Amino acid sequence: MSENDVEKKVADRYLKREILGEGTYGVVYKAIDTKTGQTVAIKKIRLGKQKEGVNFTALREIKLLKELKDPNIIELIDAFPHKGNLHLVFEFMETDLEAVIRDPNIFLSPGDIKSYFQMTLKGLLVCHKKWVLHRDMKPNNLLIGSNGQLKLADFGLARIFGSPGRKFTHQVFARWYRAPELLFGAKQYGAGVDVWAAGCIFAELLNRRPFLQGDSDIDQLGKIFHKLGTPTPSQWPDLEWLPDFVEYSSQTAQPWRKLCPTASDDALDLLSKLFTYDPKTRITVQQALEHRYFTSVPLPTDPAKLPRPAPKRESHNPRTSDLHEGPTVLSPKKKARRVMPDREVFDGNAYHVDKIDQHGGEIRWAAGDNTSRNEQVPMSVDFSIFGAKPMSRPTINSADRSHLKRKLDLEFQHPE
Amino acid sequence: MAANFWNSSHYKQLFDQEEVDVVHPLDKEKGITLEDFKLIKMHMVIPICKLAQSVKVRQRVVATAVTYMRRLYTRKSMSEYDPRLVGPTCLYLASKAEESTVQARLLVYYIKKIYSDDKHRYEIKDILEMEMKILEALNYYLVVFHPYRSLPQFLQDAGMNDISMTQLTWGLVNDTYKMDLILIHPPHLIALACIYTASVYREKDKTAWFEELRVDMNVVKNIAMEILDFYESHRLITDERVAAAFNKLKP
Repeated sequence: MSENDVEKKVADRYLKREILGEGTYGVVYKAIDTKTGQTVAIKKIRLGKQKEGVNFTALREIKLLKELKDPNIIELIDAFPHKGNLHLVFEFMETDLEAVIRDPNIFLSPGDIKSYFQMTLKGLLVCHKKWVLHRDMKPNNLLIGSNGQLKLADFGLARIFGSPGRKFTHQVFARWYRAPELLFGAKQYGAGVDVWAAGCIFAELLNRRPFLQGDSDIDQLGKIFHKLGTPTPSQWPDLEWLPDFVEYSSQTAQPWRKLCPTASDDALDLLSKLFTYDPKTRITVQQALEHRYFTSVPLPTDPAKLPRPAPKRESHNPRTSDLHEGPTVLSPKKKARRVMPDREVFDGNAYHVDKIDQHGGEIRWAAGDNTSRNEQVPMSVDFSIFGAKPMSRPTINSADRSHLKRKLDLEFQHPE
Repeated sequence: MAANFWNSSHYKQLFDQEEVDVVHPLDKEKGITLEDFKLIKMHMVIPICKLAQSVKVRQRVVATAVTYMRRLYTRKSMSEYDPRLVGPTCLYLASKAEESTVQARLLVYYIKKIYSDDKHRYEIKDILEMEMKILEALNYYLVVFHPYRSLPQFLQDAGMNDISMTQLTWGLVNDTYKMDLILIHPPHLIALACIYTASVYREKDKTAWFEELRVDMNVVKNIAMEILDFYESHRLITDERVAAAFNKLKP
């Protein structure tokens, strides 16, 4: 290959191009996969300052993305160490949902909104089915590819859940997308936190501006209650038991019709279910996808036909011609994705009374309720069996063994 | 992710016994036999447990670490991947993957405390370098399912969830990590084999319960047999035998 100063191959395979932005844990740059000709985005993961090897957040992302393969989830194509740093190779995505929402030149039809939101929920459903909480749902983590496919990205905060009783941190999500149970300090929470955030994204798609823009955790709750009303004990019985519960002066909910003036009745019904206060009765992603909103007209727009921001650089298709081209200078604006751009703060307009619709699903995540409790009990025992003197004290003495083996063999002479 | 073992990377990566029982050519050159190979892997579990005890991590982390170690040696040689470094590094990686991170310097501190000999002179940078190598060798697949998760549910369903039975089966599951079972069988079958072994051991007839399960009892029985074989051969292993196996790895 030509040893151009700027063009160099990483790991004998990737032709490095311009820097796309600064990620949560390192630089992201564009590259060409010489093996496939595909444009990719490579995250170079800085090794931690505290000499802690592979960044913990990066490791989470790798671990989960290796398990989650779906058209609506970003694909981790490859990972490799290079000069002591770990590099993650992702499919290259043209833009993200935040750029779409913010672009004043883009008109989103009801079908377009439906399509973008449906893809968001589909990606989320795959996560929840695999017991993964995303925990950082927001428009700029929803990337959009050249074919209009929306994909969930940035799994750096994601976690496996489903061990009831396991405590998690409530410091997750960008504040505007944080569910009320998190703002009240809940440490045991479930898929509902992603559902709330999805609701915020839906409202943001409809209104073209962030729905609940608090400037502190306290203010965030204030913004929520201002629009949706303070939750009553019947709406959310467990509320007062949450660690950081504080009472707010009572406010009544504004009608959804006023909160999202352009939305259809079906959309408003779905919204009200996504914004159910009690996480136990909040709609699940599966139920949301089955909501009539998605089957009523207008149907979701075909992803390939969705409006996207006009490419700021190359006017031609980058995939076909990039291979033999010199590097292009990049307008850094294109993908300073991880940095929250300054957004105007809109104050919720004051409207009055309505009641929050609280139909909802059954209690979720009840399965396997006893696991973690039982897990605690034997923990103290097991090391004495296994750890300290394992070779001299196996659980079953071998003296018992021949007798046992005979018995084992006899009992299932004729297995079904 | 309990509900989804069947579409996990763990399931897709299950091995056949014959694939696991291959001594790497580089190790073979040094005279390592299949028996040595198994013995060394079994003995690597001990320092992993000792370290885990010192740094206080959950049993699950130990189990994941041992699984990483066993997976690693299906692909890489012990000559290139020194067991004395691989053990602690697997624990380090597993602690991150299982969300209970242990600092590398703490591991190094305890390694030095537990082993004063100069075979264990490893520093933080050695662990971090090895971490990257192991990650690569594992092809970045880090999610592992364990029998511990289904064990209490099975015990409860079988009406055997008393303390004594729970402790016995839990201990049996722990011991299965001294074998390669976790690389070969789905974890819930390992759990059932442990329950089966325990029920026979405690002379509780659970045949009816087992027959109602929709699992291949032949597989469960075979795993149980293997567990018993392990306990049998265990008795015959002397410290000298283990030391001899490790000595062959010397450069």
